[in-house]
Amino acid sequence: MPTRMIRSFQGLLLLGLSIFFAAKAANGQLTWYINARFVPLTIFGIVFLAVLAQTVFTDIRRSRKQEQEDHDHDHHHEHEHAPASGNLWVMLVPLAIGILIPARPLDSAAFSTKGFSTSAPLISSDSSARIFETESEERNILDWLKLFNFEEDVTQFVGQSASVVGFVYFNDDLEADQFYVSRFVVSCCAADGFAIAMPVQWGEALTLEQDSWVLVKGSIESITLDGNRVPMIVAESVQSVPAPDQPYLFP
Amino acid sequence: MQTTVNRLPRNLIIVIALGVLVLVASSMIPAGFFTWLWDRLNVFATVFLGIFVEAVPYLLLGTFASGLVEVFVDRDQMSKWVSNRPAAAAVSGAFMGMLFPVCECGVVPLTRRLFRKGLPLSAGISFLLAAPVLNPIVIFSTASAFGWGQMLFWRFAVSLVIAVVVGLIFSVEQDAGNILRPVLSDHEHDHIHAVAGDSATEKVRKALLITVDEFFDMGRYLILGSMLSAGLQTFIPQSALLAVGSGPILSVLVMLLLAILLSICSTVDSFVALGFVNTFSFGSILSFLVFGPMVDIKSVMMYLQVFKRRAVFYIVVIPFMMSLLTGLIFNYLVR
Repeated sequence: MPTRMIRSFQGLLLLGLSIFFAAKAANGQLTWYINARFVPLTIFGIVFLAVLAQTVFTDIRRSRKQEQEDHDHDHHHEHEHAPASGNLWVMLVPLAIGILIPARPLDSAAFSTKGFSTSAPLISSDSSARIFETESEERNILDWLKLFNFEEDVTQFVGQSASVVGFVYFNDDLEADQFYVSRFVVSCCAADGFAIAMPVQWGEALTLEQDSWVLVKGSIESITLDGNRVPMIVAESVQSVPAPDQPYLFP
Repeated sequence: MQTTVNRLPRNLIIVIALGVLVLVASSMIPAGFFTWLWDRLNVFATVFLGIFVEAVPYLLLGTFASGLVEVFVDRDQMSKWVSNRPAAAAVSGAFMGMLFPVCECGVVPLTRRLFRKGLPLSAGISFLLAAPVLNPIVIFSTASAFGWGQMLFWRFAVSLVIAVVVGLIFSVEQDAGNILRPVLSDHEHDHIHAVAGDSATEKVRKALLITVDEFFDMGRYLILGSMLSAGLQTFIPQSALLAVGSGPILSVLVMLLLAILLSICSTVDSFVALGFVNTFSFGSILSFLVFGPMVDIKSVMMYLQVFKRRAVFYIVVIPFMMSLLTGLIFNYLVR
């Protein structure tokens, strides 16, 4: 491939990546792939890719101009040198995957390989005090699991009212009137995502659909599951809700 | 002529036969197969794009640092900064990460560039292995996951030791040509030279062009590595791996394999490791935190671009053995 064509291809790919990331940022889908904390870094990436594309296009224009007046001086030679050629095509792969396969956040389809858990560790920078101070109805699934994992005496939570959002997951180790309300926790990117879940007791559990998003309101009960104390919600109401903008929880 | 006439109907027959075969075969596939396949494909796409989106800014920063080094640093300065004695060079290389806070994606192009600027082998190798851990960002993220305690201390101490040891081992080799791949770009692409009289903007422009070339050069290995990692994660259940992982030896091996498999960035791997605190011993988590930033699928792909195969073998195997040893020591002796 002639140098200038390689350069043009590079420029287009850089621009394409920048636009692709920008589109994901604009429609809020970036957090389907990475922890919200890293979004600013991606924004930097979008800008920097655009700057690089601009640099490449300017370089092409310059080399074209230089070519016309090149007969008398030939000291820089930049336009003659082929950049790392060939495998630019590989850069099309993420674009193709991103465009051809409809975006979908991790859901119960990933359980079979990623598994799910009904407990969660407390990270040292968040104190259990913060979760304690949170109104019980403001706590999310992760908060509840952390509290039950961390506190020796969980009877203090029994009877507190809970209100959590998550998606429905059915599993054989639950009774017919029970289901899991689940969320994925993502620390870095979807690659490290793992699912956490709280069992819910609700008479009409069977009317729910796998993976549908629900808002569960009820009171906390402590049960034992596989030898662990686990918080269960005895539901007063289960409402179906639209999927939240940020499908994952960030620890 | 005759053959073409004859071949046409024969091709037609083959096509029809194949069509029938596909129809029959597809009717024999269980009904759930395509939804299953579609689900797997979706998980693959999400995990792959997760790793890719996360890594691109870091790769850009690393390649840009490499571009800036190319234009602003010359060989004389380099030999002034870095000692030629192997031990001193290896130690100072290991601490260079404090100046260039790069993770394992960014460190590879930067190391390659520093080699071409005359950085001694021992310093470059220890920089390559230590920088993804021994830098301010990772110190902070490890501390916010595990607190300012033992895990933080041992993670950095052990990483430092491994990096320096491997650096020293490589210093035995006098001829860098036996270790480094001939840089194909010497003829193909590195002709964007800094010229003494260039203005600052001109230098930055050149640095940006180098960034572009290196971004594509390294980016394709990032993509292949991420695809491999995402593919493995899509089809191999993590629970199967974790189920194997009890016992003082197996648990360390499982965490080391997981570090290779997950290919997550060193800036955040401590949060991921935290998820295993309840199920895994201190030693095995420590070995995960030490080894993961040095070796994973995508970084090995990129190493292969810079080093000869034999060198990559040592860069992978020595840290593996040392991390394994560390895990075992902690499992058996400390706890």
